Order: sequence, then structure tokens, then C-alpha cells
Amino acid sequence: MSNNFFEVNNVDFVVGGKTKVRNVSFSIENEGDVICLLGPSGIGKTTILRTIAGLQKIKNGSIKLNGKTISSENLNVEPEHRNISLAFQENSLFPHYTVKKNILLGFEKNKLKKKKEINLQEIIDLLDLSKILNQYPHQISAGEAQRASLARALLTQPNLLLLDEPLSNVDQSFKEEIQIRLKRILKTFKISTIIVTHDSYEAFYLGSKCGIILDQELRQFDDPYKVYHFPNSVEVVNFLNRGVLIPAEVTSPKSLENKDLGTITGTFVKSFPIGSNVQLLIQPEDLHHDDQSNLKLEIVDRKFRGTSFIYTLRTASNSFIPVFVHSHHIHQHEISEKFGIKRPIHIDHIVCF
Amino acid sequence: MRINFWYISSFLISLIVIIPILTVFSSFFEQTTNYFGILKETFLFEYTYNSLALLISVLTLTFLIGTSTAYLVSFYDFPLSNFFKWALILSFAVPPYIYAYSLTAFFENYGTAYTILKNVFGEANYNQHIPKFDGMLGSILSISISLFGYVYILTRASFLYQSQSLIDLGKNLGFTNFQSFYKVILPAARPAIVAGLSLVAMETLAEFGAVDFFSINTLTTGIYNSWIAFDDLAFANRLSFFLLLFIFALFILENLSRNKAKYHFNSRGGFKQKDKIKLTKKRAFLAFIFCFFIFFISFLFPLSQMLYWTIKFPENLFDLNVLNLLLNTLYLVIISSIVLITFSLISNYGNRVLKNKFLNILSTLSISGYAIPGVILAVAFITFIAWLDESMIKALGLTSIKKIFIGSILGLVLVYFVRFYSLAFNGIKSGYEKINIYVDESAYLLGYSKKKTFLNIHVPILRNSLLFVGVLVALEIIRELPIALILRPFNFETFATTAYISASEDLLEAAAVPSLFLILIASFFIITASKYILRENNE
Repeated sequence: MSNNFFEVNNVDFVVGGKTKVRNVSFSIENEGDVICLLGPSGIGKTTILRTIAGLQKIKNGSIKLNGKTISSENLNVEPEHRNISLAFQENSLFPHYTVKKNILLGFEKNKLKKKKEINLQEIIDLLDLSKILNQYPHQISAGEAQRASLARALLTQPNLLLLDEPLSNVDQSFKEEIQIRLKRILKTFKISTIIVTHDSYEAFYLGSKCGIILDQELRQFDDPYKVYHFPNSVEVVNFLNRGVLIPAEVTSPKSLENKDLGTITGTFVKSFPIGSNVQLLIQPEDLHHDDQSNLKLEIVDRKFRGTSFIYTLRTASNSFIPVFVHSHHIHQHEISEKFGIKRPIHIDHIVCF
Repeated sequence: MRINFWYISSFLISLIVIIPILTVFSSFFEQTTNYFGILKETFLFEYTYNSLALLISVLTLTFLIGTSTAYLVSFYDFPLSNFFKWALILSFAVPPYIYAYSLTAFFENYGTAYTILKNVFGEANYNQHIPKFDGMLGSILSISISLFGYVYILTRASFLYQSQSLIDLGKNLGFTNFQSFYKVILPAARPAIVAGLSLVAMETLAEFGAVDFFSINTLTTGIYNSWIAFDDLAFANRLSFFLLLFIFALFILENLSRNKAKYHFNSRGGFKQKDKIKLTKKRAFLAFIFCFFIFFISFLFPLSQMLYWTIKFPENLFDLNVLNLLLNTLYLVIISSIVLITFSLISNYGNRVLKNKFLNILSTLSISGYAIPGVILAVAFITFIAWLDESMIKALGLTSIKKIFIGSILGLVLVYFVRFYSLAFNGIKSGYEKINIYVDESAYLLGYSKKKTFLNIHVPILRNSLLFVGVLVALEIIRELPIALILRPFNFETFATTAYISASEDLLEAAAVPSLFLILIASFFIITASKYILRENNE
């Protein structure tokens, strides 16, 4: 028997008779851990949260919290008896109560359990709600409503907190600040949390583990660094949308050959027989700019990302490769110019499929 | 399928509503007296012809009055235009039969018109110059002026939701205001107009009081008379079958158009306060005169006529036990409202919680009662109870249960329940549709049970909808005539039945007092609900 705090074992997540995600298994090892689920819109992330909250039933597998089964084929503990909180992406505030009263409902529920209390004022400050406390839900913006729902969910201090795109309506300028504060609160009060998001950076920052849901499956469940650097499938690579796959031939246990880039060395994440034709993942950070290099590729696009530029280069065989360059770099290149790539090319982790 | 409280309640509610329809259909094939044979050859044609003539004329008039007044108050600013906006719905306070009494009282020989002319111009034979509005013409006018409000309300709502850009487009194409009206504005409001006209059509076919007063034989009066005068329930049911065929055709039409209208109304961001065109001088005067004329003939005229007679013949006021009538009317209103609201809430909540297709179909069936004329419901109810009574006595040897249901408040409330269930159900449903389902789920996750969610979250949020539904039901029951006439307990009168009985005995002066009270009470309810009826934003 496992000692995981929370477990989902071989569950099909179904809504309206239609299976959204199949045969899912993942776990939260310790109380207080935060995990994130990433995936495109409509893939079933919200269905997973709703099922864990008890709002949808399951027909196979099991869901366990704190060692107790809360969902299985024959058992469905009612949502009100799970002590799980879900902050919906949509406005779920009670329209006939002020924001303050809405938030206090969470606080009152927590008081009944006599747990160590989260400071109400701290949450109000954390989510910058003081100015709207006496307003009604229809008088506030979508972002404010989302923060109020988050406050209500946090104040219940549940055994498991579920956040559905918690910051999707929050202004970009305020988002990072809230992420920092939210992470601190979750850690301080050891609130185990599952966050659903489509923002990979949010997931990488908040989660100790990340799950990638694609094509009705949980494709990868690992720590953020590994998900990013060692994606386990072409689909995960495409979803994270940070690199490209180019054809290459494995020439030794530590190198491969691409006809445009030449020899590439590094450590294979997964070994392939010498002579194998593979798809090599090139991420923007893998190649380095060098004006002196004789390997020159044509620039077809340039994206300014504040701290960096990402150039898209065309190879002779018409592949498009992204290259990251610090934006303070002295040379700025225009579209159609030639762009030098430093040789020899060395990639720490070689990811091939 | 799990059978629980919600299934059982929804099933029973549907059954109660469906019984009258089944009874009518099953009775159609039963034996009847010889009277049917005679009628089939003669009166049936007259009944159908009159019903159709009435229907077409009323639809034409209500369309003209309803759309023109809605257009004027929606797009133009002229003296008292904001007052007319809600004053025009006061026409609902005057049921067609009271309008018919007023028309007759004013235009009859030596009536009010004669008295006015005599007082102004001196004694003369004015009777031959005063037009007579009776028979078919009187019926058409009474029903049209009383019912144009349906077209007015729905069309005005549609005009309000039309985007400014649509109207600007007309201007951009060089249309005059009138061209914009019939080329752009009117076609865009078509679904709402059709929905309004469908309601008018159903009410017209169901109309009893006015046509009976003017002695016009329609299918509805035919049903009533064959039961009251000839004691032939089977024939009443056969006529009901014909009338139901009409109604079903209209019901389908109404549903189709309403779906479109709903789509139209719900379009987000479509509503913006449009800049009304300020009319000046002659045009402002004409618009004012037109709206005032409609307001006058639809409300002030019958109100003043009834008031005038009440003052002129005060003995009628003293002869009548007004307090008793008021208490009876309120008693019916309160009991029926409570029953309707309670069951509609249960059904709506059941549908919301269970999200079950079977329950949805049952609910859809059970809201069809509003389309069935009160006369048919009352007669079908009696037929059903008679059959049930007979079967129970035969099979189980029980004592008669007729008295419990026929000529009792219970029977009356039951039939009101069938007739007005859709009003209550839909009113509460539209309130429920505004409550996000996440609100319920948040409540569960905060530890609320289903019962606590219902009582602490839904009911407070639905408070306004419940109040609105209560007012609508009250308004309908105060005005309702045939069901009360047929099913009321002995010696139990309401303002409506008292007015009808006096009028049918040719004592129009005596009908004035209950009619006046009926108009005043109905006006009170309309004014109370006006802000909901004339809703101008999405909140």
C-alpha cells in the first residue's frame, strides 16, 4: 500500500457519457505539495478537477485522499463531505452576498474544523481585495471575481485545493506578484493543491510536478525541469511549442549528424543504435550565435521577448530552427540576413524520438 | 433510472396537466346525444367560421396597435413618451368582457354617449347617430384592445435590443424614418411580433366572456353552452377537440418563433440605450395624440365608464358585499400562487439538480396547459372526475368523490394549476437560468447540503422572480372567468363572476362595481410588476 497523500489510480474522466481523459494515474506524495496539470483548452483538465471535487462520478479506477477512497466505481463521497475546495475559472460567487460575505463563508467553514487559521486580512491583502469587499459580484470585474473566489477557497483551508485557471482573468502586471504570494501561502499553510492551467510558466513556477494532458491521455507527469528538458513524446514537444524536430543520424553513443548543422555532440537522454535515423529536438537555447562561424543560416523571423530575441532560421533543407539570443547582444540582425551558428554544436541533453 | 422525489413529483405534475388533453381526445370517440348530429350539420360551421373571423380580425388589429405604439415609445421622444411606455400595459387590467360591458354601456341607446350629448347639446334623438359596437365588431374591438399589450410588450423588448448600428445602417442607406421602420426595424423584430401574436391568438380562441356577452357563437362558447345549457359533456369534449387542433397549430408556431425570439433577446451587448429621436411640433403632437388615444380607449375609457356607473348607481356598491368578494378573490390568488410557485420551484430545482432528459420532456409537456382554453380545462376536468368517480364506485365500492373536486376550491385551484403552471414554471426557470451552475457547486464544496443550497442560496437569489411570478399569477386569476364560472363552489363569487352574472342578466350597471374593483386591483398588480415586465437591461 502506497503512502501518497493523494492518488488517482487508472481513472477514466467522463463528462456527459463522453470520456475526456483515459486511464489517468498520478499522485501527490506529501501533504502540502502543489502539482499542475497542463493541456490545451477543452482537453478535460477541468473535468479532472470536477471529478476529484466529487461533482462528477467515475466508473473505473479510484481516487484516494489521505488514505481513504473518495471515488470509485461503487463509491462517490458527496462534494460537501470531501473537504476539497475548488476555485472555478468562471464567476461562482453568490450574487446575493457582498464579496466580503462570500469570502467569509470560506472562513466560517474553516472555523468549524478548528484548524490553524489562515489570517483573513493576509488573504485580503494577498489578493488585493480590500477595495471591493463591500461590492456585489455583478459590480466587480472578472479578474476581481476570480481573486475573490480564490480567497474563499483558500480560507476554507481544505485538505485539497483545486484551482481551475486561477489567474486567467488577472491582469498580466499583477499576475507574477500574485503567483509569488500564492506560492508562499500554500507553502506556509501546507495546502495540497492541484492547479489546472494552460500557462506553462505558471505551472513550472507553482508546481513541484507537472502533468501534460494531450489526446485524452496524461502524457507525462514529472517535475517541471524534466517536462521541459526531457519531453517524452513528440506531442509534448509540440504542445510546449519551444523547439523543433529535425532529422539526424546517430553516429556514436555521444553524437549525431544533421546534413545542415553537421555534427552535434552531447549526452543522449535515451540511447539509440548507431546508424539510427531519428528526430532531434532543437530548443532555442541549444544553439549559440557566433558571427565568426562559417555555418550561416538565413533569418526568416525575429521575435522580441523583452530580455531576449528569438530568431527563426531557415536551413538549406528548409527546416526552421529557433535560436535564443540575449536582447543586449551587440549585433542585431534583420530578416533575410545571414546568422552565424557557433561550432562545434554541443547540446547537454540530447532528446530524440 | 433512479426513481426519487424529483421524478415522482415531476411525473405527477405532468400527469395532472396531461389528463385534460387525454380526456378530450378519448371523449371525441365516445357516443353523444342526438344533438351532435344536428349541430354537425349546422352550428359547427358557424362556430368555426366565427372563431376564425374573430382570430384574423383580432390579429390584424393587435398587430397594428401593438407595433405602432411600441415603435413610437421605443424610438421617439415626445411629450409623456416615458409615461406611455408603462401606461400602455395597463390595458391588461381590463379583461375583454369588462371592455365589452364598457363599450355597450357607452354606445347603447340612451347610454353614456347619449347622456353626454344631451348634457352638452340639449335633448335630441342622438341614438340613431351613435355608432353601435356590438356583435362581431364589439367582440373584435373588446378583445383586440384588451390583448394588444402582448404584441406591444414583446415588440418593444425586441426594439430595445436592436443594435444602434442596424438603425444607423438604414439612415446610411438614405431611408426615411418610415422606410427604416418597415424595411429594417420591423423585419428584425419579426420573431418577437410573431410570438406576441401567437399569445393573442391563443387568448382569442380561448376568449369566453366578451363573445358570450355579444352572443357570438364560437367554439369556446359552444363548449360552455353545450355543457351548461344542454348538459352534454361528450359534445363539449368534441368541440374541445376541434378547438385543440387550432391551438396545437398555434402552439407549434409560437414555440418556433419564441426560440428565435429568445436567441434574439439574449444576444449579448446588443442592448445599448439608443438615442431617441426628439419629435417637435406637429409630429410630437401627433405621436402624443396617438398614444394617448390608445391609452384612453384601452384603460381610461373602461375605467371611467365603470367609475361613472358606480357613482351614478351607488346602491349597487352597497348591495354588493365588496369585502367578501375581495377576500374570495385574494383567497384564490394566495392559495393558487402558493401551490403554483411551490410546485414550479420543485420541478425547476429537480430539473437543475438531475439534468435528466426524461424529466425535461415531462416538464415540457406539463407547460402546455397555458395553451388550452380555460373552458376546455374545466369541462375536461369534470369529465375526468366523473369517470374516475364512477370507476372507483364500481371497482372499489367507494363513496362518491365528486364533491371534493367539483364545486370546490380544491377543484378550482387544481384547474388553475394546470392552466397557469407554464406561467409559473417559465417565470422561475428564467430566474434559474441566470444562476450560474458553479454557484450551486461552490455551495456544495463549501459544505452546503442540497437542501441548504436550495434554501440559503437559490431562494434568496430567486426572490424577485418569485415575486414577479406571484404577481403574474394573481393578475391572471383575478381576470379569469370561465374556470371560475364552471368550477366555483356554491355561493362563492369573485369580482369576475359577479360582473359576468350581472351582465348576463342585463344588469350592466350592477356589473360596473365588481368590474371597477377588478380593474383597480389588476392595475395595482400591473404597476407592481411593471419594472419586470418592461425590463430594459440584462440584470
